[in-house]
Amino acid sequence: MNAVDIEQVTKSFGEHMAVDRLTLQVPAGSIYGFIGPNGSGKTTTLRMIMRILHPDSGEIRVLGEQNFAAANDRIGYLPEERGLYKKMKVDDLLVFFADLKGCRDSRARVREWLETLGLSDWARKPVDALSKGMSQKVQFIAAVVARPDLLILDEPFSGLDPVNANLLKDAVIELRRQGTTILFSTHDMEVAEEMCDLIGMVFRGRKVLDGTLESIQDEYGSDVLRVRLEGETDVRELGQLTGVQQVNDLGRSQELRIARDADSQQVLSELMSLGRVRQFELVRPSLRDIFMRIAGPEAPDR
Amino acid sequence: MRKTWLVAVREYQAAVKSKSFVITLLAMPLLMGGGIVAQFVLKDRVDIRDRRVAILDPTGQLSQAVQQAAAAYNATGVYSDDSGTPKQVKPKFVVELVDASQVGSPPGSTLKLSERVRTQELFAFVEVGPDALTPGATGSSARFAYHSNSPNSRELHNWLTAVLNQTVQRIRSQRAGIDPETILSVTQPVRIENLGLVVQSETGEITEAEEVNRAANILVPMGLMMLMFLGIMIGATPLVQTVLEEKMGRISEVLLGSIPPFELMLGKLIGTVGVSVTLVSFYLLGAYCALSYAGHTDYFPSASLLTWALVYLVLAVLMFGAMFSAIGAAVSDMKEAQSTMMPVMCVVMAPMFVWVYIVKEPNSSLSVLMSLFPPATPMLMVLRQSVPPGVPPWQPIVGIVLVLLTTLVCIFCASRIFRMGVLMQGKGASYWKMLRWVLRG
Repeated sequence: MNAVDIEQVTKSFGEHMAVDRLTLQVPAGSIYGFIGPNGSGKTTTLRMIMRILHPDSGEIRVLGEQNFAAANDRIGYLPEERGLYKKMKVDDLLVFFADLKGCRDSRARVREWLETLGLSDWARKPVDALSKGMSQKVQFIAAVVARPDLLILDEPFSGLDPVNANLLKDAVIELRRQGTTILFSTHDMEVAEEMCDLIGMVFRGRKVLDGTLESIQDEYGSDVLRVRLEGETDVRELGQLTGVQQVNDLGRSQELRIARDADSQQVLSELMSLGRVRQFELVRPSLRDIFMRIAGPEAPDR
Repeated sequence: MRKTWLVAVREYQAAVKSKSFVITLLAMPLLMGGGIVAQFVLKDRVDIRDRRVAILDPTGQLSQAVQQAAAAYNATGVYSDDSGTPKQVKPKFVVELVDASQVGSPPGSTLKLSERVRTQELFAFVEVGPDALTPGATGSSARFAYHSNSPNSRELHNWLTAVLNQTVQRIRSQRAGIDPETILSVTQPVRIENLGLVVQSETGEITEAEEVNRAANILVPMGLMMLMFLGIMIGATPLVQTVLEEKMGRISEVLLGSIPPFELMLGKLIGTVGVSVTLVSFYLLGAYCALSYAGHTDYFPSASLLTWALVYLVLAVLMFGAMFSAIGAAVSDMKEAQSTMMPVMCVVMAPMFVWVYIVKEPNSSLSVLMSLFPPATPMLMVLRQSVPPGVPPWQPIVGIVLVLLTTLVCIFCASRIFRMGVLMQGKGASYWKMLRWVLRG
């Protein structure tokens, strides 16, 4: 079963087409990473899933319901920009948000979460006394405190130091273990690679990637060899090796993009005849590379 | 509804617990009553330096009498003995007789005297007309001229008017051979009491009509209306700001993930009603305590009038609150909010411009019409109900129905604007755009 089913959804704001015939599925129980450059329609899509915005056309089913209410108690939502009442005390604020989600034991759960994220000492402080990172954690608690079945996070880790980012990542993974489906958007390709079962990428309102990291890497696939020879290296010679399609000279080392059916062992043995091999590494294209290939300055239709 | 209630409670607590609410609560009566207090404090702070007045009297018969009257006045009229020991609280009047042979005739003489007023040697001077004692003898009426450089100071002028008239009348009656006492007794004015109506109780007892309390008949309506006005201004106006802050602080987006926009707005409105009712109750309680302390509980409005006022207040806050929250949702900063609010503020203020007329003419057809114009009904109907003889029973009911309908329309339109505006960042919406949102939904 899918937690989120988006079918041929289009949304435009005036002249600007924000989301263009988007179709994607988020299977229940998975962590789905939603990537794409700024302004590509990620937030709009998440807002449509939340029913804060309505699609111009197409269908969205969330948790199996087509006409679910926007304010669904089974969905937790962390918007991209943090919104908290500045004058309220941290625990009162979280209890208010939890109550709004229909949570029964709000106070106890808020206390638990504050402890988990190391904010217990701040429970009675007003929100505007918190640092940026702390208020982000508070906002995260607001999204998860009512035990949602589906958790939608818009850029949850941006602006956090590694320690706090890890704290939130662990919390997300723990929630998934308890059965929550998690859909989050991010700019951080490493986070997506590290955490997500499935990754979808939108670019200019359209879906350009969808699947597991492996399937995406296979699809974008020609593997890359990173090599370094001792002494001066003739880049032209590297290009003539069997199966090498393209050479990318990085100065001290070179990247060789090889054909799909090429044998890297063959390349290695030919390389050894050219000189002493100091480095030979088989690298799969990183999500970052794929992202840049699609949306970077050298992208074909840019 | 449970979520609406949660929002209402939070909204109410956030407003009532804030420092600014307490300050406003205490400062507003000061601001409103400040003028009265200032008058009271400044009342005794008058300049008690002598007022020197010169009298240019060609008849030669008046100045002596005025001088004597001044002496009598200075001996008794300028002291206050509130504290037991007499204390001068008003300026004394010093009358100076001008010798016509020395100053010559006008305009030379009046110019000279004017110069003395300019140099502050004199406070004023009076020119007695040549025909003062023989009115109509030359076909012109008697003319006195009072010249001063302090046009707003009425004290000396009023005193002179009274003294000169008395003197002139006495001299004229003597010339006509009539005893001044006779004239006084003939022209003695009668007092006409301003009474209410005679009432017969259920037991058949007839109660004498009571004298009309003019102060109560103006102060009670005015007070009630001001109270409604304060309730709307202090309660509902901040909605613009809170909605705008929630919108710009992206709190709305978080809230909309938990509660539909209509319920969110309704919750905020209910919280606001709570704030207004709290505020008005606080003032009413204060007024009641003050009045019973002063022994004037008859000034306090009746229970039925208060009930009407409360119902109207709730509806008015809902109606204007809906408009204000729509504006808060549609604009993108406070400056824009101020200008967009102007038309609504004019409507809120409108009753303040016409209340004097309505208190005087509570049942003229214009008053009835104005009080049935829904945005003005809450304040004006209560105003009319609190002025005797009151209003026909159908009018407040029609008023309530109209206000209720208007309030529902306002809430409906506002919720559409709210839903669209509250997620929109960037440039605010014009009235035209808001109208499109309302129509398109």
